[in-house]
Amino acid sequence: MLASRAFSLTGRRSICTSLCLRAHGHAGVVKAEDYTLPAYVDRRDVPLPEVAFVRDLSAQQKALKEKEKASWTALSIDEKVELYRMKFNETYAEMNKGTNEWKTVLGGVLFFLGLTGVILIWQKHFMYGPIPHTFSEEWLSAQTKRMLDMRVNPVEGISSQWDFDKNEWKK
Amino acid sequence: LARGIQHTAVRQAHRKYEPNFHDKYGNLVLLGGAAVFTTVWGYVLTQLGIEWGLSPVGRITPREWRE
Repeated sequence: MLASRAFSLTGRRSICTSLCLRAHGHAGVVKAEDYTLPAYVDRRDVPLPEVAFVRDLSAQQKALKEKEKASWTALSIDEKVELYRMKFNETYAEMNKGTNEWKTVLGGVLFFLGLTGVILIWQKHFMYGPIPHTFSEEWLSAQTKRMLDMRVNPVEGISSQWDFDKNEWKK
Repeated sequence: LARGIQHTAVRQAHRKYEPNFHDKYGNLVLLGGAAVFTTVWGYVLTQLGIEWGLSPVGRITPREWRE
């Protein structure tokens, strides 16, 4: 706008800049995309966002903005709240509010861990063969007595856990 | 018009939010997941017959082995 004023002062019409074009309302300049314009954001560390939340005001809202220019004591509570909601989306309380998302997350995690267990069941049932006979109760009991008779690992290991006087495991 | 989400029809100091998925089903998912987990792993750990190789200490009673 300033540029076109300058041109009329000199009495000459020079080549229009893109600024002039927009002032004249010509086509040929691409409309600015939303993402290139300053954006509204609900963030605790941005108390006053670059733009108001509501961009295009209704007639009712425009009238309210006019009323806002006068004394604020004339505004009702509802009008003040409406003005707030026009400028901001969420209140700090609403922004900071927690959610129940953790329940879904934890529940989902536990469920899929359960599915892992199902895989183990399938493996044991369909894939693995029988375990060696050396794991049977009678073999293990004989094996354990033999280890104790030999005094295997007497310092901190298995023989240190057995009471040889009372013939039982130490408490 | 507000590019907002909820209906701003009701003028209140605090907006009423529609309950989201977590509000509606969070408890169900949590308890259901825990139930699946405990049943499956309870079965795997005790009934399936997997040899976990636990220590004989306190568990196995030694038995004479010499013939």
